[in-house]
Amino acid sequence: MARVVVDPLTRIEGHLRVEVEVNGGEVTDAWVSGTLYRGMEKVVQGRDPQDAFYISQRICGVCPISHGHASTMSAEAAMGISIPEGARLVRNIIEGAQFLHSHILWFYTLAALDYVDPVKALEANVADTYALAQAAGTGACDFGAVKDRLAGLVNNGQLSIFSNGWFGHPDYAADMPAELHLIAVAHYLEALQIQAEAAQVIGIMGGKFPHFMTSINGGTSFVPTEEKLDDVLFRLLKINNWVKNTMIPDTLAIAPFYKDALGFGGGTGKFLAWGVFNDPSFDLTSRYLPGGAILDGLKVEDPDPAKVTEYVEHSWYDNAESNLHPSEGEANAKYTEYNTDDKYSWGKAVRYDEQPTEVGPLSRMLIAYLRGVEPVQDLIDGTLSALGAAGKPEVLVSLLGRVAARNLETAYVGDLTVGWVTEVIEAMKGGSVDLFTEHEIKDGSGYGLWEAPRGSVGHWMTVKGGKIDRYNVVAPTTWDIAPRDRDGVRGPMEEALIGTPVSDVEKPMNVCRVARSFDP
Amino acid sequence: MAHPAHYREAHPLVFVITHWINLISMVALACSGFYIHYPFFSGFMGVARGMHFFFMYVLIINLTLRIVLAFFVKSATVLGSREVDTDIKNWLPQKANVHQFGAWIKYYTFFKKDHPLGAKYGVLQKGSYILTVPLTFLMAYTGFCIYSPVMDWGFFQAGLNLVNGPMNMRIIHYFCMWVFIIFTAIHAYLANVEGVAPSRLIFAWKEEEGLHFDADGNPAGGKSH
Amino acid sequence: MAHEDHGAVYDLLKSRGVSRRDFLKYCGSLAAMLGLSEAMVPQMVAAVESGTKLQPALWLNGGSCSGCTESIAQVDTPDVASIVLDLLSINYFETIMMAQGDDAEKAAEETIKEGGYILIYEGSVMTGQDGNALVINGRKSTEILAEAAAGAAAVLAVGSCAVDGGWVAAAPNPAGAIGVQEFLTDEGISTPVINLPTCPVNPEWIVAMVVDVLLLGKLADGSILDELDDFGRPKLIYGQSIHDNCPRRGHFENGEFVYQFGSEEEKKGYCLYPLGCKGPQTFTNCPIVRWNSRSGWCIEAGSPCIGCGSANPTKHGGNWVDVGTPFLNRHRDLPLGGLGNTAPGTVAGVVGGVAGAALVAHGVGMKVAGRMDGGADYEPMKAHDAKKMKKGGGE
Ligand code: HEM
Ligand code: HEM
Ligand code: SF4
Ligand code: SF4
Repeated sequence: MARVVVDPLTRIEGHLRVEVEVNGGEVTDAWVSGTLYRGMEKVVQGRDPQDAFYISQRICGVCPISHGHASTMSAEAAMGISIPEGARLVRNIIEGAQFLHSHILWFYTLAALDYVDPVKALEANVADTYALAQAAGTGACDFGAVKDRLAGLVNNGQLSIFSNGWFGHPDYAADMPAELHLIAVAHYLEALQIQAEAAQVIGIMGGKFPHFMTSINGGTSFVPTEEKLDDVLFRLLKINNWVKNTMIPDTLAIAPFYKDALGFGGGTGKFLAWGVFNDPSFDLTSRYLPGGAILDGLKVEDPDPAKVTEYVEHSWYDNAESNLHPSEGEANAKYTEYNTDDKYSWGKAVRYDEQPTEVGPLSRMLIAYLRGVEPVQDLIDGTLSALGAAGKPEVLVSLLGRVAARNLETAYVGDLTVGWVTEVIEAMKGGSVDLFTEHEIKDGSGYGLWEAPRGSVGHWMTVKGGKIDRYNVVAPTTWDIAPRDRDGVRGPMEEALIGTPVSDVEKPMNVCRVARSFDP
Repeated sequence: MAHPAHYREAHPLVFVITHWINLISMVALACSGFYIHYPFFSGFMGVARGMHFFFMYVLIINLTLRIVLAFFVKSATVLGSREVDTDIKNWLPQKANVHQFGAWIKYYTFFKKDHPLGAKYGVLQKGSYILTVPLTFLMAYTGFCIYSPVMDWGFFQAGLNLVNGPMNMRIIHYFCMWVFIIFTAIHAYLANVEGVAPSRLIFAWKEEEGLHFDADGNPAGGKSH
Repeated sequence: MAHEDHGAVYDLLKSRGVSRRDFLKYCGSLAAMLGLSEAMVPQMVAAVESGTKLQPALWLNGGSCSGCTESIAQVDTPDVASIVLDLLSINYFETIMMAQGDDAEKAAEETIKEGGYILIYEGSVMTGQDGNALVINGRKSTEILAEAAAGAAAVLAVGSCAVDGGWVAAAPNPAGAIGVQEFLTDEGISTPVINLPTCPVNPEWIVAMVVDVLLLGKLADGSILDELDDFGRPKLIYGQSIHDNCPRRGHFENGEFVYQFGSEEEKKGYCLYPLGCKGPQTFTNCPIVRWNSRSGWCIEAGSPCIGCGSANPTKHGGNWVDVGTPFLNRHRDLPLGGLGNTAPGTVAGVVGGVAGAALVAHGVGMKVAGRMDGGADYEPMKAHDAKKMKKGGGE
């Protein structure tokens, strides 16, 4: 038996510590700790309802758009404001661009190095690489130049961000050809440019990314013009094209070498999504990626925000009460010590219907699949057949399934986003686009439920005397990295780690893969 | 019922002029400043800023001139007298101002029936004139701190740092405007509550006969009404 | 040390697959970006070619949201790959580095041992909970920063959080966040700090600093520090206000304003001043370098500037949230240290109202007392003299 610690888990947003117990080459217990406390909710209190949008999105620099939208929605709900069609579309486009940005960045910049060994790529034959790229139907670029650049890096010894990487780790698929490694490395570099183009869409429509500016209570302050929409559309088409012709083929080319990853990393099997991308009805369950909860087998029920509670028994808060709804809970931070038997995380154990539920792309895609969203069904069915598991969506509840779901979602969102831009253009042809509802600051309570690329996000706001009286956030990562609850039940990531094979306790590659697959 | 004579010696012509300039620039600065703080209607920002920048210099130069002249021009030592002395001596608190402080307060709070005798101006009135100077300089200092051509000078940077930057300094400047307006209201009230003779003198330089006093502020005859 | 003595940086770039033609083009685009004349290019090339090895650097995350890392990932001239592979050797970079766990920490340790590195710090310094508000690999983040900063050639505090705590330090500052400069001063560490506020940092400014250090040798000769203002910010970047360079400035001067989102004025792109634009009080060159590879920036996208570049590294309470909220208002309260906030308009209104009422009441009293026209009768002799006489004094 051995305790193995990965701290910091790098290539994620924020600071995370993963500790596991390994018995007989397999993880038998796990503790995940969020190691940073900032207390944003207190900073927002007493300020104007609009100010929460600017401040609260800064919880996360990788998904600020989603926090910003959830915050604005909570203020609008509290004050009884509805937003016009134009604003709905603008928000969807900005959110969609962030999904594209985030998923591309995650797959290539953050996760790929768990499956692709840059040193192995040096053995590639450049001509064969072109042939393989063609066979796999993925994008070709100057593979020779990439190989030279890589060789230069490795030969001179200054490895920069690759310093101390686990090169040559036995968990890299032994039979994956060097040429495929080289293709992936080349696309790792290319992805940096593509994700930046997605962020540029937000630069145009939101002022900047990260931390955008235009989601104001009542609508949006972005005013679409022909030349701006043209800049947006051009970029989205390019990204969309790249996702379909590079990212998805890469996924399908690499996945077969990691089929064992269908066998672990699944977790609780319980899922939650608030849903994201409103249609004209603004109904959670009819969103383009609809809301839902899967608690028992692969059956979806409608989500109920009243069922969210937070436990603090294993978190560094000395609250009088636990298992409260976020809008009732308090947060009295009080560090004691890191002790896996007692308190070990700044994250609270957030639960849905008192159960640990996974959130994120896998959750959303499963719910959309089960709710019969056609494009999602097509994407998933196609992938299942490619993996030789046709008609068995349950195999997606695994490490590989989580990775695949995210990449398939990228393709779906890419199409949607292009569609919304077209809708705005059509609306402009017909005259003007309504973007803002005038309103007054009113007292009340409300919540905004939405999805970040990495999972469900909820903001709860109470306005009293024109100022924010209470503010609470349940961030996406909080769901997945939740520690144990009062009864010692593990959080989703902790549960997913159970059964993960560990070939080398010094370098627990699979542990990192599973943890990262949540995009925490 | 009686009040002192108002002789031109009390406010030599230059001071009538500086007072006019003071008044006009203050009104111009307050109006333009108020607009700069929040432009209630459109189309006026360029003019408002132009006015503000013009009159802020006028105000500062005028005030400085007024202070310098106080050392050279002679004015009446008390109201109702033609006896003169260097103005600065009559402007700063005089001995009788200090002695009569209690009497003036009692008078204004209705605890004292008869009008106190004093040196030049009542104690409160004098206090408000003297306050003009630091207040105007504070206005100028806070104003220059948010005036981009000079705000990076160390002198202004220090103030900006003290209040944590131009965002707060702007509000302090705005706040001071209110202080100034309130101050001016009190000043105008005190100057005119007992009749418009003082205003006729300071604005139109018109004399009016009345009680006569010697240089020490003691009654020395003259007409009574 | 395997990489002590290899040739010029240019050779390095060449060995990294960068051709001489690309390299010259690259120097040219850098010169253009920096506003330098093309004539500087040969000088820059010479500076690079005489270099010996990549400048080592560490990128540490304190109480950050990773937004500044995200931000640097968006830069395109040069792109982030060139920065982390061809210009700097960033041996520790939590959000994107390959290594993890102890191996990642070892990479940092080795770099610190060798010295001569630049420390880039993102996020606020978390002093709250006795330093336990952030613990990495069993060590308090404050401890890690102190060690890494002490051995660094210079610290780049990127983003408002690293400069003065940023939003994390906004009242009531629940996690005890402060800026790097203040922390180092408290610890007696004298490594120079270059502050680059805005939330997140604009990546172009990091590149500008990298170029200053690498191509123009300004850290080696110390001149980089002479170009900083009192807040340790490069004057070139933070010397002018947003308002000075804003494309809507013409509308401001004309008095053409947007008073309401969704209005005709908004569609015309008028000035956002009445909606609380903090451009006049915010000093950065956002309107010039813009954001996300020049694709846009706040005001162009229709949002008033919220002043996210305001920061005061020398003092508490100057963070952009405390000085900027309510963001979409011109009117605002004045923070009075621990005493809470005052609304100047309200206070002035109340005090003015009270003063006005008092004057009116007093005026009525004066009228009733019959003092209005010419005042009361004068006392026969000064009260002061009379008192003296009674006491048997007097001359
Ligand atoms: C005496 C020297 C003064 C100077 C140097 C000065 C300077 C300034 C400057 C530079 C501004 C900013 C204008 C802009 O950048 O567009 C300003 C604004 C303003 N000034 Fe003055 N000013 C002075 C006196 C006054 C006075 C006497 C008043 C009122 C009684 C006043 C009221 C205001 C107000 C209300 C604002 C708007 C502040 C805001 O942004 O909310 N100023 N002043
Ligand atoms: C509503 C506007 C004003 C009115 C009606 C007014 C009225 C007067 C009157 C009647 C006097 C003569 C008092 C006496 O002889 O007892 C006076 C003096 C004076 N006022 Fe004003 N005033 C006004 C505004 C101002 C302002 C804005 C300032 C300063 C910025 C100011 C500064 C002075 C000073 C310094 C004196 C002393 C005379 C001198 O300069 O020697 N006044 N004012
Ligand atoms: S939009 Fe803001 S920065 Fe631009 S001119 Fe108007 S006030 Fe100045
Ligand atoms: S324009 Fe203002 S709000 Fe936008 S990034 Fe610059 S300083 Fe921040």
